[in-house]
This record gives sequence, structure tokens and C-alpha cells, in this order.
Amino acid sequence: MSENEEGSSRREFLETVGAIGAVGAVGAMVAGCSAGMGEQYDNYPWPPLLESAPDGPTLRAGVIGCGGRGTGAALDYLDAGPNLEVVALADYFQDRLDSCRNRLREEKGVEIPDERCFVGFEAYLELLETDVDVVLMATPPYFRPEHFEACVDARKHVFTEKPIAVDPVGARSVMASARTADGLGLCVVTGTQRRHQADYLATFREVTRGAIGEVVSANCYWNGVVPWWRERQRDWSDIEYMLRDWVNWTWLSGDHIVEQHVHNLDVVNWFLGDAHPDKAVGFGGRARRPSGDQYDFFSIDFTYENDVHVHSMCRQIAGCANNISELVRGTKGYSNCENRIWRTNGTVAWEYPYEYDEQGERIGPRPYKQEHIDLVTAIRTNQRVNEAERTAIATLTAIMGRISCYTGQEVTWDEMMESDLKLGPDRLELGPSELVRAVVPVPGTA
Amino acid sequence: MTGPRRLRRPFVWGVAAGVLLVLLIREANTFTSGDRFCGACHVHPQATTSWLRSTHYTTKSGMVVHCVECHLPPAGVAFAAQKARLGIRDVFGTVFRQRDSLYWEERSQLEHASNHVYRESCLLCHPNLFPVELTDKGEEAHLHYERRPDELRCLNCHLHVGHYDPNAAQEIEFGLAEAEEARVHEAPATVDGFHDYTEFIPGTTVSFDMVAIPGGTYEMGSPESEPYRREDEGPVHSVTVSPFWMGRVEVTWNEFEAWYRATRAEGRTDTRTTEVAGVDALTGATPPYVPPDQGWGKGDRPAITMTYFAAVQYTRWLSAVTGKRYRLPTEAEWEYAARAGAAGPYFFAGDPRRLTERRFRNRLFGRNTDALDSFVVHAGNSGGRTKLPSEAVPNAFGLVNMLGNVREFCLDWYAPATYRERVGRGALVDPRGPAAGTEHVVRGGSFRSDPADLRLATRDHTRTEQCLMTDPQAPKSRWWYSDCTDVGLRVVCEFEDTGPARPRP
Repeated sequence: MSENEEGSSRREFLETVGAIGAVGAVGAMVAGCSAGMGEQYDNYPWPPLLESAPDGPTLRAGVIGCGGRGTGAALDYLDAGPNLEVVALADYFQDRLDSCRNRLREEKGVEIPDERCFVGFEAYLELLETDVDVVLMATPPYFRPEHFEACVDARKHVFTEKPIAVDPVGARSVMASARTADGLGLCVVTGTQRRHQADYLATFREVTRGAIGEVVSANCYWNGVVPWWRERQRDWSDIEYMLRDWVNWTWLSGDHIVEQHVHNLDVVNWFLGDAHPDKAVGFGGRARRPSGDQYDFFSIDFTYENDVHVHSMCRQIAGCANNISELVRGTKGYSNCENRIWRTNGTVAWEYPYEYDEQGERIGPRPYKQEHIDLVTAIRTNQRVNEAERTAIATLTAIMGRISCYTGQEVTWDEMMESDLKLGPDRLELGPSELVRAVVPVPGTA
Repeated sequence: MTGPRRLRRPFVWGVAAGVLLVLLIREANTFTSGDRFCGACHVHPQATTSWLRSTHYTTKSGMVVHCVECHLPPAGVAFAAQKARLGIRDVFGTVFRQRDSLYWEERSQLEHASNHVYRESCLLCHPNLFPVELTDKGEEAHLHYERRPDELRCLNCHLHVGHYDPNAAQEIEFGLAEAEEARVHEAPATVDGFHDYTEFIPGTTVSFDMVAIPGGTYEMGSPESEPYRREDEGPVHSVTVSPFWMGRVEVTWNEFEAWYRATRAEGRTDTRTTEVAGVDALTGATPPYVPPDQGWGKGDRPAITMTYFAAVQYTRWLSAVTGKRYRLPTEAEWEYAARAGAAGPYFFAGDPRRLTERRFRNRLFGRNTDALDSFVVHAGNSGGRTKLPSEAVPNAFGLVNMLGNVREFCLDWYAPATYRERVGRGALVDPRGPAAGTEHVVRGGSFRSDPADLRLATRDHTRTEQCLMTDPQAPKSRWWYSDCTDVGLRVVCEFEDTGPARPRP
């Protein structure tokens, strides 16, 4: 009744657009789930965890960041289903690109021609100008917001490793790019692989059906060792050294709470209903790290809505008690999130039924490959799956914990959503850099 | 056989009448929702002309957005009720109000525009707040908006998209182009003795007048009998004020820009402290995000939208470059200067009850605002923006716009009980507000005030959080309010022995 003549024609136009959009309605519902609608979880429809992605037109992928993880992602992608190709590579360093290229040739017989190999800081832009449909992003986290935005603007589907940023400005940039990707109907799967494991997903379904009652607290841990570091070579400039040793530098990795522990924090956010903490108070320090400017250990008290407290702990020191896990406690019991639920009295209430092969070896899960099966399935079945925002939230959760430990102060989510903290050099180019002399933060002095 | 037929006939007629009625309503609605229907009465340039020049008429795709698509909610969102409300209001206005008594420019400003532009209408056509073309600044702003959907409107940032305003574009050159004028002052004014003087800001072409305010004793505050008095204005108490100089007019853009030019900083300084003491007086403001003059013009108009902190920094800088002790007035000095010997609600004869627009009978029968209009730039005569100082008549001390144009920052912290706590303290000479607080005193009225609120005794205070609502940064800007356009400042200069006091080291 509201239309005038011009108005009605415009509304009809909008309705037509809407009808076209309805094709993706299932996908929208799926995406809605990841936005945090608790009651829908009972019938959590995504991911379907297929053995292999369905067949379809060829999907060509390009790799940005050709280190170990990027090479692994490329191999996993090729294994995810029929008609999948890796056709272009980009990296800052020629030697990293070459090793990835050789490995693809040796293991899969895939030959990437010279004109599709791009080297340098602008390499990712050149790769995006090729005809790739999918981009596999495995650069150091520092680069991710900028690269992700470029991928979205170039209308590419994306698999991106976690974490998705190193600072609040970057995390918010990814949140915005994620929304842009939604508008363009792109699929984004992130490397928070626990969300692609059948055991975690089954446990999650049980918990949302009320198996442990209302969640009252949680713990999560990544207590392990320094994954790797590089000794500085004589001909490396400051920036080259830090790039090759990136997992030990806060501006490149976000520190290990962001780079590694984000997995566990993401699981906690997930089991608390795709929530995020309201505030964090933590402490940490550095005792015996061989390289870089990061802390060795963090311990943080996160406060979520309704005063639910979550203790997060992560450490990278060899020779200590190790533990990589999560635990959520509810009014009726507790769960390790992965495969088991206990009653309050400690007796097991539910266990994930793993399958075993003839030798008695457990079959699966195989999350690294599953992520790519899920991505290709989403693209080929036209389900718009976008995991970028929730991974940005998990990343920002970790960043918030890090800042609290570095400063010794309470840090709020609101501050994170407005902070103008941006790490790294103003302009990235090889050469000398003051960042290499970064001072390890001392709490209480900021 | 006749029974059913007899029943059937009225039924058929009823259906036909119903269909006809529906068609008629449809027609009427279509007729009254067209641009031509709106334009028949809205003949002022703020309606059709500015719309034709706006980005909602000249769109990239050639699609035109019509009046009711913004000025009524979409179907289903109380469309009929809003249409009826607007219709009744417009008919009333057309019949009972003089067209030239309506300040259309004022209606175009945020406070009014929010009443006749609907968020739902914006979002119907703009459901995607993160299009590919969106800039980084836009992304930050839209994330900020999404987290505060109840506090923020699309209009907070996109006020002029439906009706073009050539002055609304972001002014990147703010403060960089100095006014073309004659002589650059080489030295500040030399003042010997206690008399009016003109100050020169060295190195600029800018000067301003200072009025010598003789000391004296007066009754501060308002009695309970004063109309529209608030609790914090009393009790009335006797206060003695020492001699001082006060700016004849509120600090102008010329003066404020001189400071900005001399001290501006390139990037945002990352500090959360708002402590004024201990900050280098020459620390300068960062560039404003939007035109701080709101596109109303700068020059001799009062400077606005600076934070309290920025205002204080201005006075510190002014002291440094002139060798005199400039600062904001205390609340006691401000009211003494504003009264200029007058008791009562205003420094001219007037009764707030007769002048306020809040009373229905005043709106119905009109009010005699001749005196008010001559002395005060207020909501009723401002057109919703600041005016030049030359458009108002000064008070007995020769001070212009003490009650109108822009409200003015004072030196004191605000507390509702400031006056009550002075009871029984004996003679009060140059009294100050509380030693600490969270917000500072703001006095006087502005171009936006009703006569009930611009009385001499009216007390108000800064509202830091509200004034920075749409600033998406953390820490928010120390220098510019994003959401406060009616507060400025007036400087005083301290008198000591025989001349102006020297700045404190």
C-alpha cells in the first residue's frame, strides 16, 4: 500500500534481487549460526564433514605464503576432492617459493609455470590478478588483514590460516572485510581446525543439548615448547631476519598467545555460544626464550557475560608439564570439548564413538584436509560459509589477553573495538629496522 | 430461492464497496506520496533544489530516491501511523504558521532531521554496510555504529546525503590558510593601567578586544521565585570579584585558528590523560575529522566544537605568546560580568515565563521578543547556527553574547551543591568551585537555547561522553568534540598591581 509508481518499480527490482539471493538462503542460515544464535546449534548443519568434496567445475587455487604451512595447505587442498588445481604461488622470498614449487612437483606432479610464480611484497597483488578462484593464505599473521581485504576485493574465495591479525586495527579490518565478503557471496574458511573435527562437533552438539547444563566456567591451555626459531645469517637485514624468524616477533606473529593459543580461545568462545570476553586481566613474562621479543608465558582471567570466568594459560618453554586442551564446566557436568562429557561426580556421561581400523588405530579426524573439503563443498553447493568474523573475534580475544599481560592492566572488549594500536613498521621494506631492538614489555610501566 | 439471493446481493455490494475503498486509499496514498505533492508546499530551497543536487537524486545508477522513501518509514514499520503524524503536522504548519517563521536550515540539522528521516528507510536500500568501495575510515565508523545501534543514527555521519550542502564537505585545509588581511602583528599589546585594550597575537594578523571589568560585589545565583530556576542555582549569596579583563566577544575562529596553525600536531597523540597541568602549553591539536565550524563559516564567528582540554590549551598558548595571564573565567567572574550590575533573570527587562517557547500559550498567542532578540542569539532567532558578534547588542559592561550564541566553558569543576556549600563561609572573595570533579562548568545559553535556559544564573556542565559519541577512536580525540556544536569559550586576563599579570612559569 505504500508504493507510488516509481517506488513500486524499485521495490519490485529489490524483490527480484531478493529472489536471486534466496538461492543462497541455506548458506545464509549457516552463516547465521556462526553469528551466535544458540538455539540453532542443536541442528548444527555445518560443516557436513564429507569424506571428499563433491565434483564440480575446476577450482583453481593460488597460494600466498609458501612456507611449510602454505605448502601443506596446498597439498591438503589438492587432496580435498576432484577437479582441484593449484596454479599460482606468491611469497616474499624466492627460496621459500622454490621449495613449495618443488614439493608440489615431486608429490603431486603439479608444475607451476614461471609466469605464475610471484616474488616480493607485491607478489600477492600479482597473484590476485590471475584467474585463480580460491586463495590459500599462509603468510605471517601481520600480513593477513591487508591480504584478506585484497582477496575479498578481488572476489576470491579464501582459506586463511589463523590467527587473522596481530593488533586491534587489523582484527577490525578483517571483521569489516568479512562483511564485505558476505555481500559478495564469497566463502571463507579459517584454520581453526577444531571446528572442522567430527569429535569436537559432536561434543558441541551434546553440550548445546544441555549435557552439562549452563556453562559456569572454562579453562584452556596451550603449554608446549617454542615451535622453531632461526639463527640470524650474516647477509640478512633486520627485516629479513625478523620475517624468516617471524614466529618469535610480536609484530609478525602477535606473540604465541595469538599465534597458537588462539585455537583454544576460539573453542571457548564457541562453547560459550560464540561469545567473546568483556574484559581480561592477566600476567606473563619472559624467562628463557632463544629469539625475538615475545613472552614465554601468559596466564589470563577472562570475564565473559554473566560473570563467567575463563582461565587461559599458555607457555612455550621446553622441559615443563605440557597440556593442550580445553575444559568447560556447567551446572550438570563438564566436558573437554573434544570427545568426552563427565557428570559432576566425575563419572563419564558420554564419549565420542571413534572408529578404528583393523590394526586398532583410531580413524581420523584429519582436520587439515577437512578444512579444504569443507571449503570446496561450500563453494560447489553454493552455501555461503564465512568463518572470518568469528576467527577475528578469537584473534582479538587473544590480543586482548596479550595486551593485559604486557601492560598489567585490565583491558576491555570495548577498548579493543576502538583501540588504534597497530604493530609493525609504517612502511615495510627490506633493510635496517628499530623493531629488531624491541624491548620486552614490562607490566605496570605502561 | 429468494432467500440466498437476497443475502447475496448486499454481500456483492459490500465486496464492491470494499474493493473501491481499497482502490481509493491506494490512489490517495499514491497521490500524497509523490514528489510533486510534497513540493507543492515545500517550496523553500532546502527541499527540492538541494535534493536535486544531492547524491540521492544524482546517483551513479540513475535511480532517483524520492521524498517519502527517506521521510517516511518503509511499509510495515508503522508506515501509516507516521504518514498520518507527518500529514497532520504539515497541514497544521501550512495553515497556522507563517512560512518565513520556519527555520528550514535549523530543521536540516541533526536534532530535527532525526525526527523526519528513518533509519529503517536508510537500511532498506543500504543493507550492506561494508561494500567493497568502503574506505578504512568508513569500515571503522560502521563497526562503531553496529555496536551502538540505539545511540547512533545513520544521520550522525551522513546528514547531507539527501539534501546537498556545499559547506558540508570535509575541509582538509582547516587552519592552514590564513585570512588575507593587512599587517602581521610583531608584538603583543602593551598595557599599562586598568583600561580596555586590544590584544595582538604576534606573528599573525589577528587581534581581539579586552574589556576592563571593575571589581565589585554582587548577588550570585537565583532566588527560588525565579521561573525555570533549577536546584543548583541557589541559594543566592554575596560574592566579591576582583578586577579583571574579559574578552568583548567569544573567542573567534580567527583567534582559535591562529593557535591551531602555530601548534598543530600531525598525528593523534596517544595518551589517555586529561590532566592539564604538566602538559606543554605548546602541545597542539590534531586535525579535526569533520569541518569544526559545521560549514557555517569561520572568521569572526565564535569557535566551536573544541574540547574543554583544547580550550584550556588555547588559553595557555595565548598566555605564552602575549606575556599575559589569560585563562577561562571562573564561574563567579562569568556571572558577575554577565550581570553587569543587573539582578533578575536577564541583564535586560524580561520574564522567562513570557519569553519561553515551552509554554503552549506563548506559542499560541505569540511573545514579545524584541529585547531578547537584540541582546541574545537564541533558538528563536538564530536559524540554528552561530551568528556574527556584530549581530547582538552588548550588555552594560560592553560584553557581547554573554547569554547567547555559544555557551561558554568556565574554569571551575561543576558540582550541583557548589552554592549550598558556601553557606556560612563568610565573605566570599573570588570563590572557586570544588577542588576536583569530573565535568567542568558551562555557562550562558547558545543559538540553540530556549529563553528559559539562557538566564544569567543557569548553570550547566560539560558532557564529555555524549560530546564524543560518534568518535570511533580510542582514546577519543582530546581536541575536537564530534557531537557538540554549541559550546565555545571566552578568555579573561588577570589583573595584578598595575597591569596584566604575567604568565606563571
